[in-house]
Amino acid sequence: MTEDVGNGQAVVQLTAVRKEYGESVALDGVSLEIHAGEAVAVMGPSGSGKSTLLSMVAGLDRPTSGSVVVHGDDLGTLDEKGLALFRRRRIGMIFQFFNLLDDLSALDNVALAAQLTGTSASQARKRALELFEELGIAGRRNTYPSQLSGGERQRVAVARALMNRPAILLADEPTGALDTKAGEQVMDLLLDLNQIGQTLLLVTHDQQLATRCASRVIEFVDGQIAGERSLERTS
Amino acid sequence: MSAVWPVSRAAVRRRRIQTLVIGVVVLLSTTMIVVALGLLAASSGPFDQAYTKQHGAQLLASYDRTKVTDAQLTDAARSAAAVAGPFGQATVDVNTGGPATSLVLVGRADPAGTVDRLNVWKGRWADKPGEIVLNRNPTDSTGRGTPTLGSAMTVAGNNKLTIVGFAYSVSQSADAWVTPAQMTALKPTSTQMLYRFAHAATNAELTAGQNGVTAGLPSGALIGTQSYLALRAAAAGEPNTFVPFLMVFGWLGLAVAVLIVANVVSGAVVAGFKHIGVLKALGFTPSQVMVVYLGMVSIPAVVGCAGGVVLGNILATSLLTRAFENYGAEGIGVPIWVDVAALLGVPALVALSALVPALRARSLSAAQAISAGSAPQSGRALGVQRWLGGTRLPRSVSLGLGLPFARPGRTALTLAAVVLGVTSVTFAVGLGKSLTTYQTAASRVGAVDVTMFGGLKGNGPPPQGEGAPPVAKLTDAQDEALLRSTPGASSVAASAEVPMRMVGASTDLRVSFYRGDFQQVGFRIIEGKWFDGPGQVVVSERFLRQHGLAVGDTVVLQAQDKSVRVQIVGKALYNSGDEVLSNWQTLALVAPNQRASIYEITVKPGTDLDTYVSAVQAKDSGLLETDGQDAGSFVTIVLATVVLLTLMLGTVAALGVFNTVVLNTRERRRDLGMLKSIGMTPAQVTVMVVTSMVALGAIGGLLGIPLGMIAHRVVVPAMANGAQVEIPSFMLNVYPASLLALLILAGIVIAAAGAYVPARAAAHTTIAKVLHNE
Ligand SMILES: Nc1ncnc2c1ncn2[C@@H]1O[C@H](COP(=O)(O)OP(=O)(O)OP(=O)(O)O)[C@@H](O)[C@H]1O
Ligand SMILES: [Mg+2]
Repeated sequence: MTEDVGNGQAVVQLTAVRKEYGESVALDGVSLEIHAGEAVAVMGPSGSGKSTLLSMVAGLDRPTSGSVVVHGDDLGTLDEKGLALFRRRRIGMIFQFFNLLDDLSALDNVALAAQLTGTSASQARKRALELFEELGIAGRRNTYPSQLSGGERQRVAVARALMNRPAILLADEPTGALDTKAGEQVMDLLLDLNQIGQTLLLVTHDQQLATRCASRVIEFVDGQIAGERSLERTS
Repeated sequence: MSAVWPVSRAAVRRRRIQTLVIGVVVLLSTTMIVVALGLLAASSGPFDQAYTKQHGAQLLASYDRTKVTDAQLTDAARSAAAVAGPFGQATVDVNTGGPATSLVLVGRADPAGTVDRLNVWKGRWADKPGEIVLNRNPTDSTGRGTPTLGSAMTVAGNNKLTIVGFAYSVSQSADAWVTPAQMTALKPTSTQMLYRFAHAATNAELTAGQNGVTAGLPSGALIGTQSYLALRAAAAGEPNTFVPFLMVFGWLGLAVAVLIVANVVSGAVVAGFKHIGVLKALGFTPSQVMVVYLGMVSIPAVVGCAGGVVLGNILATSLLTRAFENYGAEGIGVPIWVDVAALLGVPALVALSALVPALRARSLSAAQAISAGSAPQSGRALGVQRWLGGTRLPRSVSLGLGLPFARPGRTALTLAAVVLGVTSVTFAVGLGKSLTTYQTAASRVGAVDVTMFGGLKGNGPPPQGEGAPPVAKLTDAQDEALLRSTPGASSVAASAEVPMRMVGASTDLRVSFYRGDFQQVGFRIIEGKWFDGPGQVVVSERFLRQHGLAVGDTVVLQAQDKSVRVQIVGKALYNSGDEVLSNWQTLALVAPNQRASIYEITVKPGTDLDTYVSAVQAKDSGLLETDGQDAGSFVTIVLATVVLLTLMLGTVAALGVFNTVVLNTRERRRDLGMLKSIGMTPAQVTVMVVTSMVALGAIGGLLGIPLGMIAHRVVVPAMANGAQVEIPSFMLNVYPASLLALLILAGIVIAAAGAYVPARAAAHTTIAKVLHNE
């Protein structure tokens, strides 16, 4: 699904990234490469810096020191507007609590992502509807987020993240708020996406999600990479 | 930008309550601003406006018909900017069935023209002989004895004229008008000319203009003139008393509106932080986020502002028309600059107050924004809440009291709105009370029950014959005795009014000489004492100011050939600067044979006034009842405005609280859902949320009331001073304890009213729904 970066090339490259929040150190010299087509799971105790890592990669926040290069863009060289444009085109994000816009219908939430890149509203809806069909939620397209189940909401969020064919899909505890069955559906969805080439960086506490979806698991402790292992996926 | 619009629009559509609150607050605020500015702008020159509207005459001149022809006058008038006339003019006796009077009658073919465009406010203009149009102020009170449309009056001996209309001339160019043909039949004695000049701002310019239009006329042709500057000085009296009060209120309304708009708008933006984070994560640029937020508040703000301008114009116009129609200027509206200023200024103000939080949103790091919206910073709150939890208050109350500490910024803004709301209400109530007390006392409204008119002069034999004005048939002393002995009378004061001058001053004075129960006619002594011997007078504050005098000083008053030295022994509460009060012993020094013309009577409770008047008139048919004092439309206008603005401010303040509670409960719906899930009843939740705001209302009341009282104490005397009146200190003591309690209650009611609906709504959302939604 990614454009010009073929399998094997580094989509994400973090070099000695350090992030401090006042006194506390959230990331402490993290260096990491993620290659196109990989599915990387980040695990670790609460407060170990996993969400902070995603924020760095998505350009939602800037490191205190070190460099973040995503899809060839050195985020340190981009201004706020540049970062926004970068996020629009290169990043898809899904969150534990979905973060859909309550004011917009499910379809419009998804279409919005394409409209941001200048696509007309009708084109954007058309593409969104295709994604809805692929994700099996076409019947819920005119529903507002508050009337959707958690699993449905997360699938809408996934659709929104995929709208602009991102270089990398970032997921922070995507199944954290879901029951087992809904969680499994989302897991399957992510796995399918990865199998058709979508690069994936996901944060999870869920061992099962990690082993099922990820080809590599990175362990975080106190803002540092404490270990790393490659996995044979179970499915 | 294609993505910005749908997001703004959706935000407006789905956030109905906030959109509505912004819309309504902006609507009410704009209305207040337009009313206040409209009154402010109009009250600075109602006379000038009316004069401009009517193209009032700047110089009104009467010429001797035997010395100058109409052609000569027209010819000489070429130097004027605009002219009306020549019109035939005569001073005629009139008999309407009321007291004998004389009228200045002018023959005029139509009420329009280039100068002195008359406002025919009732009936029509005279179009054939036998018809007459009276010059009457539309706001003059109409009581028994005032001429009515269609009734007849007899003028100049035996000419019966039918009243076909009432018109009003701000220039006071005549008492009544007839057609030119009718005028000719009545044999005019003089010719009237009305002029406007290119320059007429000062007396010197007017004199120059007058010299221009009289140049070359035979000497002695000009009999008399009247300058509009003198009229303007006279007209400024009453309104000027109230203009300062209106101004204060206008500015206060403006300040409160600004604060509340800012509060509501920044509340809306602050509540949207999480939303902002999501937009940023999606790739909205900082500027796009800002535009979404400005757009979200601008849509209701623009709609509310437009509605407010319309509503404000309607209200202000109706207030202004009522206030200033005594200048004959109907339909005085809000000046266009006020509308333009409101239409541009209010949305700009709203945008500006939204800009600060919007800029904050703009610069907020997206990662923080996503986490900021949902959970209020609780560091400070925890201590307070723990302390409250340890008190003996019911848990729902102590939890509620802790709520405002979770969002100290928002709480402070809400508190400020409530404080200013209570301040304005306190100030307004005090202002209204002081004003009514003052005006009632100063104009002596309702002080006497019946006023009887006994004819002007009359020591000689009363005039006889048909058409002679009715005058008292009995002597002055007999009339007084009659009025006293008629059943029901409680007090009788007799008075005679004599035009006099004060030596060294150029203005005419009206001196009323009293005898009998003059202490009962409603004048209040605020300094010195009542007269108790010959050669004593009592005057007003304005009189003292205009002449630079003080109680205790001695002045010389002149009437025709007599002059008398009098001492100012007291100061009474009334507005007029040219009215002087004295006693009968002093009149004896000036005009010993004068009879009383006016009798002011108070009756015992339960006495029927009509019965009393008929009983008196059965004995002396020449005694006529006349109108008493009338409160003046200004007080009514001021009070209406005060009530209106107070209601609006109260509503807006309540909406401010409402908005805060909506935001708070929305943010805390998870906490609320959690509290309910552990067994809190909906009623307890309502109590908890309402308590949080009631505490705010009580604090607002405690802070706002003293502020309002201070404002009242400082502003009212200062403004009275500017208006050359004195408000005695007892009129400032308008806050009895019961009223203060009521005002505190007002703060609490404002807060509770604003909080109740959203609190109940929050209490009744089902837990599952709340928890499901997060
Ligand atoms: N905006 C912030 N301000 C201050 N400190 C922060 C902020 N965001 C994160 N931190 C701190 O950085 C550290 C790492 O936080 P992070 O959210 O990355 O942890 P996490 O591994 O995602 O934890 P969890 O598994 O609980 O989500 C924590 O100590 C946290 O307190
Ligand atoms: Mg996390």
